[in-house]
Parts: sequence; structure tokens; C-alpha cells
Amino acid sequence: MTDQQQDARRLPSWARAVLVVALLYLFLVGVKMLEGGIKGLGAEYTDAVFAAVSSPIAGLLAGILATVLVQSSSVSTSTIVGLVASGVVSVETAIPMIMGANIGTTVTNTLVALTHVRRSAEFSRSFAAATMHDFFNFFAVAVFLPLELATGFLSRSATALAELLGGSASGGTFDSPIKAAVKWGAGLVEEVPALITDHPVAFPILVAITGIGLIFVALSSITRNMRLLVVERIERSLNEALARSGVVGMVVGALVTISVQSSSITTSILIPLCAAGVLALRNAYPITLGANVGTTITALIAAVGAGSVDALTIAITHTLFNLAGILLIYPIPRFRYLPVRAAEALTSVAQERKWLAFAYVVGAFFGLPVLGIILF
Amino acid sequence: MVLAFFRSSDHTPIEEVEAILVGMLQNAAIVYDTATEAVFGAGKSKEARKKVRRTDKQIDRGQEEVRQKLMVHGAVRGPDTYLPIVLAYMSVVKDVERVGDYAKNLYDLARYGADLTEGPDADVLAEHRELVGDFIAEASEIFESSDIDAAQAFCERVDEFTSVCDAAVREAHASQGAASDAVARALFYRFMKRIAAHLLNLVSSMILPIDQLDYYDEPAEDRS
Repeated sequence: MTDQQQDARRLPSWARAVLVVALLYLFLVGVKMLEGGIKGLGAEYTDAVFAAVSSPIAGLLAGILATVLVQSSSVSTSTIVGLVASGVVSVETAIPMIMGANIGTTVTNTLVALTHVRRSAEFSRSFAAATMHDFFNFFAVAVFLPLELATGFLSRSATALAELLGGSASGGTFDSPIKAAVKWGAGLVEEVPALITDHPVAFPILVAITGIGLIFVALSSITRNMRLLVVERIERSLNEALARSGVVGMVVGALVTISVQSSSITTSILIPLCAAGVLALRNAYPITLGANVGTTITALIAAVGAGSVDALTIAITHTLFNLAGILLIYPIPRFRYLPVRAAEALTSVAQERKWLAFAYVVGAFFGLPVLGIILF
Repeated sequence: MVLAFFRSSDHTPIEEVEAILVGMLQNAAIVYDTATEAVFGAGKSKEARKKVRRTDKQIDRGQEEVRQKLMVHGAVRGPDTYLPIVLAYMSVVKDVERVGDYAKNLYDLARYGADLTEGPDADVLAEHRELVGDFIAEASEIFESSDIDAAQAFCERVDEFTSVCDAAVREAHASQGAASDAVARALFYRFMKRIAAHLLNLVSSMILPIDQLDYYDEPAEDRS
């Protein structure tokens, strides 16, 4: 029996559920500390740092790279929400970063697919299943980033929704019992860095780093505990979704991702199923799209904790962007399987020359973002 | 479908797999009963053929479902998967499916015109027919109840029966009677032995280490 199974036996479900709530609180405290730490640095420091991502392309590539490095779009989007809440990064600047995070998160299942490289048929199915997620996000960004830059349709829709939900104008804040509780907790944890230094620059940096650390630890613990809590439900719903496509798959993908707070977990579960041929590529596709939407819940939770209308705006933008991507591509039969067909085309090339699969991963997720950030 | 996520269940996914295996055995019993009825006097009929084919297809679907569920189980649980049970069930589902296949083959004897109610050995054949029918039902009960002692006793009895089948095939080969009777008896005992052996594999999976599955039906000197 593994340690996790022993863990699962030791802790009753109700206690694990309480633990998850506590971890969620810790996560929100982390976002608040990140926001506070960045704010504390002052404009003279932050302006120079964030000028680097003021170009949309640089922002997009930074979003990809940051997500690839932390292997979690939940962490990167929550960090972006914290930055927007601090006022250092504007909603407009953050939108390409959020889109980049969407692309970056797909690296995990692509890496999982590469583990099948020695078995040709399995590799073909798994690599196509992984890269169709990449292509969906590439297409969505290719369409919506220029459109957003030209019209601001995503940010304007999100702002209207955020103002409606937050009850305050853009740039303002909204109060909630959660926000008050989070502020209290953040104040308490900030006492720790305060014991180490009171230097005007070192202290806020330490607070921000502690915040990011809390976000990372809390989210990974939430994922692990939620997975143990809902593992049977995930198994049951995936069993039911195997032979179905369309909306059912999307809802299952979204539900599983919301429950484990990680689209990488959902999509990485699909890879071995596709590799084994148990799940058809076209049935895995809607589950993947659902996971894309489900993962936006983390940023929404972070925004509610931050209590800033702008933070809520960027979180809603993330959700709208993914929903808009589905609405653009999925309903029209001619476009529906474009990402799948692109993935199949890439796979047929990569199957002949396996090194191309590795080159694709390194190039698309590491090389291009680094090069782009340097150039832009 | 989507509601499956919210629905709580009294059974774990592995228990659901076990229920499918038991259902497959029950279907195998239907195929066996229908096929042996045909070969023991009732003869071939359109209804019986349809019933055998339809039920055998259900068994095949059960096998697919078990394999899918085990694959999903492994994919969802990752390193937390309890691998021995997944490997054992992946192996025994094939045995249960084969029970259905060999029962279906028994029906083919009726299609060829064999009638095992004729001849001096009719009583023995009928007794063995009933015994294997009981084995199928018993295997299902033992598997469902996870009764280790009963499993051990079952394996010993079925092991003995496979020797009886071997002897009967040798006897059919040496017989001086009509070739059609000898062939029918040889095939009948061959199929009965295979059914018993696959039941043996299923039930012995409850007591044997994973690396020794599938060898119980071999002659004692060839095992392990």
C-alpha cells in the first residue's frame, strides 16, 4: 500500500474536507501576501520590472514560460490575479499573460505523452491527445489576442461582469467576509518575514515570496487532498464519459478539474486512456475543453479573496476567453476538429521522426518563449 | 451521465468490476445451459442459437467494460493503483469470457447433429454436464463472497475433474464405435475441461500469487 493510500485511510473524509477548506484559506492568504508584498515595493521598483511584460507578445510568452516552469496554470493565474489586485499590472497587460498561462499548462500532458515514445501506436494516440489541447489553445490565442487588442471585447465584457458582481467600479474594491478574514490571516503570517527583516525593499520581497510559496503549497495540497476525496467520483464519471462526446465530456472535464483544481491532472489522466485506445481522441477532446474552462475557477477564487474589481475582471476574462474559444471552434462542425486534425498531422510527422516531438516541446514551451521575451 | 460525478455509491469501482465479472459468469451459465440442453436431446433450434449468440455478445461486452474500467482505474489513481488486483482481473476476465466461448462451442456439437442422450455412457455424460453447470454457479458464488477456504476446496475438485476429462478423451480416441460418437464425446470433454480450467483460473486468482495465475490447469508436474 502506498503512503497516499495509508493517508487516505488515516484521515476521514470529513476531516479531509475541513483540511481542504483550511488550505483554500491559506491559498487566499498567499494571494493577499503576494499582492501586499508587490504593493509594498513601490512604483520605482515595480514599474521597471513590469515594463518588461507591457508588450502583449512579451506578456503572452511570459505567461507561457511562467506556467511551464511552475507546471501549473492555477499557480500562475493566481499570481497574475495577485499582481492585478496590487495594481502593479493592469488588466490589459495581464490578459496576454493569462492567455499564455493557458498555453503553458498544456506542457504537462505533452510531457506525459512523450513517455510513450518507445511504443509507436501508443505514442501516436497519446501525442495526438496531448497536442490537440496545445493546438486548441494556440488557435484560441491566435484569434482572440488580436481581437482583444483591437476591440477589448473580452476585457470589456469581463469588466461589466466584475462591476456587476463586485458592486463597484473598475479599479475599486469590494468587501466580503472572506476578504476580511483573509486580510487578518495575511497580517498574521506577515509577522514571520517581519521577524527576519524590516528593510523597506527586502521585507516586501520576502512577503511576496512567502505569498507565492503559500499559493504553491496550498494549491498542490488542495489538488492532492481533493483527488483523494473525489477519486471514485472521477473514476465513475470518466467511465460514463468514455463512449460519449460533446457537452457531456465537457461538463465532466470541467467538474473533474474544478474538483482537483488542476487541468493538468484531468488532461494527464486522459493520456494513458488514449494511449491504450480505451478513449477515442474525439471523445477526449471535449473533456479537454471542459478542463480548460474548469481550471479558471482557481483564479476566480483568488479574485474573490483579493476583493479587487480588477482582479475579478482578469479572472472573469480567463473564464470568458476559454468559453469563447469553445464557442468559436466547437459548434461549427467544419471548425470543431481543427485542433484534433492539426494534432494528428503533427503526430504523423513526429511518429516518423521522434526527435521532432521533443524539439516541438522544447521549442514551443521553452525556446520560443525565452527568445520572444528577449526580443520583445 | 454527468450526475455520476455527484452520485455517491455504496460500491467502489473495483467492486463494480467484480459485479460485472459475476454478471458475465451468470451469462456464461445461460449459454452453457442453453447449449447443453441442445446437445442433450433438445437439438438445434433458431431460438437457442439466437440466445447463445446474444448472451455470448453480452459476455464480450462485459469483458470490454471490465478492461475499460480497469484502465480508467489505473489512469485516475496513478501510483495509488492497487496493481495486483488490476492485473489479476485483467487476466481473469479473459477466463470468464472463455467460459462463454467454450459453452458456445458446446452448442456447435448440437449443430453438427450430436445427441449425447444416446449411448451406454449417457448417464455419466449427463452427470458431468450437471457437475460443470454447478461449477459455474459455484465459481460465481465463491468469487462474489471472496471465500478463500471454499476457493481452495473448489480448485481441488475442479482439478480432479480435469483429469476425468483427459481420461474421457483418451477413451473416446480408443473407442471402436462410430467415429461421430467418438468425435462428439472427445469434443464434449475437451470443452468441459476448458470450461472447468478457466473457472479454475478465475477462482485460483483469489489464492495464488499474481505470477502463478493461469498455471493451475496444467498437469501438476508442469506447474510453477
